[in-house]
Amino acid sequence: MKPAPFAYHAPETLPEAITLLQRFESDGVDAKILAGGQSLMPMLAMRVARPEVLVDLRRLRSLDYIRAEGGTLTIGAMTPKRAAEQSALVRETQPLFHAATELVGHVGVRNRGTVGGSFAHADPASEYPAVALVLDMELKAVGPAGERTIPAADFFVTYMTTSLEATEVLTEVRLPAWTRGTGWAIQEMARRQGDLALAGVAATLRLVRGACTGVRLAAFGVNATAVRLRAAEELLEGQRPEAANFARAAAAGAGNLEEPMSCVHASSEYRRQLVEVLAKRCLAEAASRAV
Amino acid sequence: MARGVLKLPEDLPVSVPRFVGKEVTRLEDPGLVTGTAEFIDNLSLAGMLHCAILRSPHPHARILRIDTSAAEAMDGVAAVLTGEDLRRWCNPAVTAPEGWGSYSMAVDKVRFVGEPVAAVAACNRYLAEDALEQIRVEYEPLPCVPDAHAATTPGASLVFEEKGSNVIQSRVYDWGEVDRMFAEADHVVSNTFRWNRVGANPTETFGCICQWDLTGNALTCHGSYQVPRFMALGRSATLRLPANRIRIIAQPMGGGFGGKGGPRGTDIAALLSRKAEGRPVKYIEDRIEYLLAGGGQSWDRHYEAALAVRADGTITGLKVKLLDDQGAGAEGYGTISAAKPLAAFTGCYRIEAARYDLTLVATNRAPTYPFRGYGPPPHYFVLESLVDMAARKLGMDPAELRRRNYIRPEQFPYVVPSGNEYDSGQYEVVLDKALALADYAKLRAEQARARAAGRLIGIGVVSTVEPGVFDWNCYATVGVPGVGVPEGVKVAVDILGNVTVAVGFNLQGQGQFTVAAQVAADYLGVDMHAVRVATAASDVALPHFGQGGSRLGVSVTGAVLGACRKLEVLFCRVVAHLMQTTPEQVELMDGRLRLKANPAVGMTLAEVAGTMLARSDLLPPDVEPCPEANYVWTAPGRTAPDEQGRCKSYLTAANATHLVMVEVDRETGQTSILGYWIVDDCGTRLNPATVDGQIEGGVAQGVGAALFEEYVYGESAQPLVTTFVDYLIPTIGEVPSSRKAVVVTPSPVSPLGAKGTGEGAIHTTPAAIMCAINDALSPLGIEVRETPASPRRLWQLLQQVA
Repeated sequence: MKPAPFAYHAPETLPEAITLLQRFESDGVDAKILAGGQSLMPMLAMRVARPEVLVDLRRLRSLDYIRAEGGTLTIGAMTPKRAAEQSALVRETQPLFHAATELVGHVGVRNRGTVGGSFAHADPASEYPAVALVLDMELKAVGPAGERTIPAADFFVTYMTTSLEATEVLTEVRLPAWTRGTGWAIQEMARRQGDLALAGVAATLRLVRGACTGVRLAAFGVNATAVRLRAAEELLEGQRPEAANFARAAAAGAGNLEEPMSCVHASSEYRRQLVEVLAKRCLAEAASRAV
Repeated sequence: MARGVLKLPEDLPVSVPRFVGKEVTRLEDPGLVTGTAEFIDNLSLAGMLHCAILRSPHPHARILRIDTSAAEAMDGVAAVLTGEDLRRWCNPAVTAPEGWGSYSMAVDKVRFVGEPVAAVAACNRYLAEDALEQIRVEYEPLPCVPDAHAATTPGASLVFEEKGSNVIQSRVYDWGEVDRMFAEADHVVSNTFRWNRVGANPTETFGCICQWDLTGNALTCHGSYQVPRFMALGRSATLRLPANRIRIIAQPMGGGFGGKGGPRGTDIAALLSRKAEGRPVKYIEDRIEYLLAGGGQSWDRHYEAALAVRADGTITGLKVKLLDDQGAGAEGYGTISAAKPLAAFTGCYRIEAARYDLTLVATNRAPTYPFRGYGPPPHYFVLESLVDMAARKLGMDPAELRRRNYIRPEQFPYVVPSGNEYDSGQYEVVLDKALALADYAKLRAEQARARAAGRLIGIGVVSTVEPGVFDWNCYATVGVPGVGVPEGVKVAVDILGNVTVAVGFNLQGQGQFTVAAQVAADYLGVDMHAVRVATAASDVALPHFGQGGSRLGVSVTGAVLGACRKLEVLFCRVVAHLMQTTPEQVELMDGRLRLKANPAVGMTLAEVAGTMLARSDLLPPDVEPCPEANYVWTAPGRTAPDEQGRCKSYLTAANATHLVMVEVDRETGQTSILGYWIVDDCGTRLNPATVDGQIEGGVAQGVGAALFEEYVYGESAQPLVTTFVDYLIPTIGEVPSSRKAVVVTPSPVSPLGAKGTGEGAIHTTPAAIMCAINDALSPLGIEVRETPASPRRLWQLLQQVA
């Protein structure tokens, strides 16, 4: 469990990092960005990942921040998850994102792991992508051509693959202003506290004149990327927040999923069941928080 | 003058024991807390090389060709080892039963995924792993034996061709009139059970540094060794060296639990050193290697079992048929785990007759090793599940059915049908204390309310016996000869009255150094900090075994008491000579050798030792100037087994009742532990905090076995669980915080009345949790008879009644 040989760079500035990535790209060198290392380091140690070069972003302190910009909350990509977890600003203005952060690994993992790292790594069992879809988050990337903003829906491509170019660095995640009164919930089934989820669901909804509206629901841990449960959303839209309606919506959402993944801990069929149960419970929890 | 066997702490020659029986601060902890304990990977020797091992990706394949030339040509690579070297220099592992061992590196064919095929010694581990990638191996895959049932199928591929069969052993033990008990029973409760592979996972995997002395033809091995002398003997057999030329130096260990393994790693590092001109070679097993092919896999069992029960609830007979998947041979001594239940086959019950139909088979899974508890955790899962099934059938409360069948206090010493003798116990007292601690009646009322609301809540009440202080005789029927397991110490007093206890083992976590110091300090009347416990290397240590089989706390106590008694006799003679009286007139009390008639007159320990070491002119003529004593303890009264395996084997019988309340989520199949209560009786508690730690750890591993841990293999014997992402050891988030109470029934046969207690909790916890889950499921008419009761498994069951 020792990595194969690799060259190592730790640029001092973002432009320097991008220049490096550009150089490696044009030379046909396989370079990989290292953020907190909580996923990449084990993959290197097991020689599952064998990049020729690591570009470590640890010196880019300018990417470590949490700011309110108008209603939008922006978090620098190199911000440790633990900082987001302990931030009153995050907790008070973005409760769903905050709750998701608490579900990531253990304290040690959250100390080292970065917010941006989880997005760029795009593990299908990660909580953040589902939350990003539910909240319509945006991801800011900087590359040789400058800066661009990518909607979450366009960011996650497939299993551990994003729409970032090889020469781009994810620099910031952006959370749109929270609509007051929005109910939210995130629940997951993991074998142990802190494990990757076998399946999970994140939800938001509002109650207007006794009916559910703006229902957003996404599942993670089941398909190649987090996935919106649109059938569930549509079924519940305009319905009363009642157990039977939640159950019907959850069943439709789970039923319409693409064939879920299978592993030693959960068959495809069981994962689908988990999505249904968790969706039902999330909707009830979200409704209980909505005002 | 010397006293006889000390039955209780009160018998020690001190006014009041200051350390034995107290929650003293452990001697081991300063080094552990400050990081100065020298674990093997902290140790570096001059010129040391690092070993990496290439392992088989196939469960069963012939090796056609190995090309190591590219690896050998790499800068920094000092030696490459393959099966050809082993064929030339070594023997296959000695096993029990004999003849089921492989070479430490595959010769001709591989028998499991992860079996070593080649190894490299290089100047660092990174380079060694790079070099492995340059080794080319051509395999010809063979049909494999994926599991125990396949092993016995006619025409099955053979794991060891020369044996002509995959059956390592098949025999039936008959104890008493089993057929009559079943014929006369009012009810027979029978079922099948499956215990999936689990095992030890110490914090530290195996590691060693081996150095071959090419001039002296000798070998020195530093390492994470659980049983040093045994390891030296085994290496002597495989490496063809006299055992007295093998020096095993046990470093402090980050846990063991029976799974340290190490024979293959040691042999490979030793042979690489031999090939690399005698430079020391370090091998640190990484976690993937450990999970794939280390010592961490145990108990892969398929059971059919039955209880004979009378209408009044009296259990009269037990039949257990076990098909046990040993994996690729018997090199790990997994076989003894199947024999261990002989020490307590019928648990804490007065069951008159029993039958054990045992078949051990070889497959292309990784070889199995001992794991804390050896065999009883699965055995008690089966027995206790049957008792609960009987209770349901009879409409009796499971606690009351157990009470009715307990061995009664006046029946001790009690000989169980499988031959072992239990020393003492008060099982009903333990049960009642547990029921009161948990407020059982209230829990049952809570359960009734929850059931009415549609919730699946269950309660398990399970009692077990923990055979403590293992003996080889228990394993005679699977080919381990011998009666008695020696454990030796030397106790030495220096000129200033400091005491050294030299033992043959090193730290593993349980705190036996502390126990040795407590006993020595209270016997000799010195402060515990005046006692140093040191590990002797295997070639100079007294006969010893080390940690294993809930034995060392009691054994080291017996050994220290024995050595102290010899010192006491010696010192009394010296003092009598100096004071011109007879030894009978002198006694040891509170650290002084004093005149019985006039206790104010006496000498301190330091004065006696000092006189012996520095004033030989004052000594009696036949007394050596040596204030030291050796004592090798072994359990008294052990006997050779008869043809049915019956003998007095494990010395002590501790007892516990665990009570657990669980809830099963009907929609997800997930089990939550709502409450956990434990009452145990392990006789005298030498260090109550250590006993508590043993219970906590055993519960954690029991929770793992019942709910989380499982080495899963695919249909073609491919291991599917090779990292901690998938092998799920419970964390602080999953292990319940238990409430505990204690009953103390001292052993009449062990030193100070202490009973072995390292394994009781893992004996009991899996059974208790499984029984609780089935109690929860019982209104639905379904039951889970396979461990672990994972959410997926329970959900599948729940689907049957959805």
